[in-house]
Amino acid sequence: MKQLQLTLAVLLTLPWASVALAQAKVAAGTPAPAGQSQAAVVWDAAAAEHLLNRAGFGARPAQIARAVELGHAAVVESLLAPSLTDPVDPFAVVSPPRPSKEDMQAMGEEERREAMNQVRRHAREQLAGFAGWWIDQMIEGHDPLRERMTLFWHGYFTSSFQDVKNTQALIAQNELLRKHALGNFGDLVRGIIRDPAMLEYLDNNQNKKASPNENFARELMELFTLGEGNYSEADIKEAARALTGWVRRNQGPDVFAESEFRPGQHDKGVKTVLGVTGKLGADELAEILLDQPACPRWVAGKLLVYLEGREPSAERLEEYARSLRENNYEIAPFLRKLFLDPSFFAQGVRASRIASPIDYLVGTCRRLSIRPPGQLVWLAAGQIGQRLFDPPNVKGWEGGKAWITTSTLLARGNLSGMLLGVVRWEDVMADDALVEEDPSMDSMEGGASMEGMANEMGPGAARRTQKGAAGNAAPKLGEMGRFARYLGEGFRPNINLGARCKRAKAHSDEQIIDFMAAELLAVDLMPESRDVLREFLAQERQQAPGRQQEQEPSAKPGAKGQVSEESLRKLAHLILSLPEAQLH
Amino acid sequence: MQPTQASRLSRRDTLAGMCALGVATWLQGDKRTSPVAPRTLLIVQLAGGNDGLSMVVPHGDDGYHSVRPNLRHSAETVLALDDYRGLHPALKRLREVYASGSLALVEGVGYPNPIRSHFQSFDVWHAGDPRGRSVPEGWVGRFADAAFPADTNPNLIVHVGGTPPYSLHSASHPPAAFVTPAGYRWAGDKDEQEAYANAGMEGAISKDREGKEKAKSQPTEGSSLDFLRKVLSDGQASSGAIRRAAARYQTPVAYPDEAFATTMRHVAALVNGGLGTRVFSAELGGFDTHTDQKNRHDQLMRRLDGALGALLEDLQRTEAGKQVVVMVFSEFGRRVKENGSRGTDHGVAAPMFVMGAPVKGGLYGKHPSLTDLDDGDLSHTTDFRSVYGSLLESWFGVPHERVLGKRFELIDLV
Repeated sequence: MKQLQLTLAVLLTLPWASVALAQAKVAAGTPAPAGQSQAAVVWDAAAAEHLLNRAGFGARPAQIARAVELGHAAVVESLLAPSLTDPVDPFAVVSPPRPSKEDMQAMGEEERREAMNQVRRHAREQLAGFAGWWIDQMIEGHDPLRERMTLFWHGYFTSSFQDVKNTQALIAQNELLRKHALGNFGDLVRGIIRDPAMLEYLDNNQNKKASPNENFARELMELFTLGEGNYSEADIKEAARALTGWVRRNQGPDVFAESEFRPGQHDKGVKTVLGVTGKLGADELAEILLDQPACPRWVAGKLLVYLEGREPSAERLEEYARSLRENNYEIAPFLRKLFLDPSFFAQGVRASRIASPIDYLVGTCRRLSIRPPGQLVWLAAGQIGQRLFDPPNVKGWEGGKAWITTSTLLARGNLSGMLLGVVRWEDVMADDALVEEDPSMDSMEGGASMEGMANEMGPGAARRTQKGAAGNAAPKLGEMGRFARYLGEGFRPNINLGARCKRAKAHSDEQIIDFMAAELLAVDLMPESRDVLREFLAQERQQAPGRQQEQEPSAKPGAKGQVSEESLRKLAHLILSLPEAQLH
Repeated sequence: MQPTQASRLSRRDTLAGMCALGVATWLQGDKRTSPVAPRTLLIVQLAGGNDGLSMVVPHGDDGYHSVRPNLRHSAETVLALDDYRGLHPALKRLREVYASGSLALVEGVGYPNPIRSHFQSFDVWHAGDPRGRSVPEGWVGRFADAAFPADTNPNLIVHVGGTPPYSLHSASHPPAAFVTPAGYRWAGDKDEQEAYANAGMEGAISKDREGKEKAKSQPTEGSSLDFLRKVLSDGQASSGAIRRAAARYQTPVAYPDEAFATTMRHVAALVNGGLGTRVFSAELGGFDTHTDQKNRHDQLMRRLDGALGALLEDLQRTEAGKQVVVMVFSEFGRRVKENGSRGTDHGVAAPMFVMGAPVKGGLYGKHPSLTDLDDGDLSHTTDFRSVYGSLLESWFGVPHERVLGKRFELIDLV
């Protein structure tokens, strides 16, 4: 019960509301910025839901209704305002129990391997723990916009556990992104050029005066600041020289991830990057990049595509790039402008973005008010293409239609069915031919069949096995085993859909379908989908065994049969498997 | 015409009948089995930028040994093809394929004004056009439109992996995609299955009847919802046939026990499963070897050789298998000179492999000069669209300019 209240209270707490209302009055008194001649936003439930979907991870109808009451500007300000409640610290990040060098040398071959496996296992578990904590923040945290933007930056300034292999460094990177998520883009760039995980990920540890390595310099320009076409190959070579000397510190077992500057490896000579000549170092390089007109355009474009789900027009991109530049790369004013912009609420933007796996699964948890373990959701999202801390490549996740393949779309339905407790892992994995071959598959620990519901990781799926072909299969199975165990040990959602329908006075099939669709979908049901659901419910009623059953009866008296809780969950499963449920 | 209730019901009844037989999915793929196995292409992309000079080694070139002091393969270790070039020491099985005359090696492949960004260079290769993603469909998508305009087989184009590459991007022939066949299904009880199948039917109907006469409720062509409905109906139609074909497949050929080889085994299973697939796509990643290249690249070559060697052996066994051409490419090669971290940075031209029973093996193109460099990079000697075009023309009988927009010099590969 406490958890439920917490979830419902996420956005709309009372003290917060009064502050926000006061701010809203101020905002209402200021004239609209020049150039914004479109009609004002009609602030209704659909508009509020749209904002809460994009700036957070979705909301239930009751929350949406309160957002409508509060008013547009007040909701925007509350999203941007720092949360009064700090998130609970994830946990103490402790170093893996790594044996000393001497101890290692004294060990036998097998003992040493086991010791190293333990270290790796520990690192993986810590990462999973942190990922689970992050998912918890998305599902029920107090700062949805910060979580949304941290997720955005995690795809923008991305690093992968597959390459960095250091949990502490990845957590430190997440903290950097989290700290500046609504802050200043310049600070993010300045932070990322000395971020231990990024230095490792993009090979700057090997970028030395005598032997420059271009990897970081190239991605810094191509993906982090300017975009292809706005620099030359010579600029990359010179920028790589400027970045020499910054490395991830080789830490002892009890030290947090840190970077350090090694002057001996730095190229102190004169460089010319994008027309600026001098004895440039990493900090000067960052300022040169931030000074380029291409930079605010690049960042604005990425933000608009992410939050709106479509490419902006040239004029719109220019307008937002200018705004970012005039605000000295402050992100909060950019977001305020966007969230108040009537164009953000236009028909082509609303409910037309394809939900990412995280959007889909976290949104489902929020809309259903269920609280599965965060790690379960993390693993589930990984199976349909978005495993946090494991992006397909340095460009992050492609997003949009790339989330959807014939198999990930079917798998989304399976995963929401698991969250609802109506689909079992065995139902998905069952394959007659394979069962004949391997009757032990139910054990969920290894076996060929475990590969079945494999990681839909895009290019990463192949890449992940690059280092140690056989060695990598094991942890993957371990993860799948963990996923299966979470389910096998009976994750049952604490929901009572029958009671909810009753409370909402949804008795007839039509009413039940309307109510459930409103709870679970960001878009209207297509008439054809409604027909299919109506037919399904009618059939369920007919097949219901009669009145003596234990389930909460929610059918109106006189109906042929009853709609059981199980049937309602199956209905929810069907709704969440529809094309409509993939949009938000 | 608006899809009437009657037509919907009749489809539904057919499906319910199938469910009653315990066949929850459709048999579309099986129905398409034709007596003559179709000509098929498998595209393997080596992601990250494969170092061409380490795959096809110019061991007879003194320049090579001096620019690659740490990474070079000596003349003694390479699998020599002649005095000048040899295959990477790990490509033992592919060396045999070459000797048997079923491997065409096209050297110095690239394109004008090369881009050294992974993503944009892939876009050029995938679009078959220097404009990359500004071109609305991938080259395979355009090929499918030109060669199989009326074919609605959801398994016509299959990507075995996560996100399909842009080359397969197509409004009318989107690919089926999966990592492994087991688990490629939607789970629910019988009634749910029926409802779900009906929901998918709506997508199928909208596809059948695209155009002006759509019902009012049909989403706009090209909208996200329209896209999702098509993928749903394709997924429902595709998954059962693929799962069964893969589960049924028996082969005496031993595939190595790693992910890419397993992917190749799935390809062989589907080729022999009579699904009517015309283009398969798969990826081996990890080629972005900026640091400590040798071990990593050696291992990738071992995996490539093990997986493709097994696949080619397997394909030799059947008529359907003998109708498969395998094309291997990467988004770019790497710099000629190694960097200071015992790795190589992004470069330009690189060799391509075209393999399989129908292929006329041998050397094609021209090895780029190691001395006449373009700002430290090899200059390409063959446009990659010459390879695409040759396959389009001689393997699929499609005028290549219809797909590639203009004419390229063709190579007699198949």
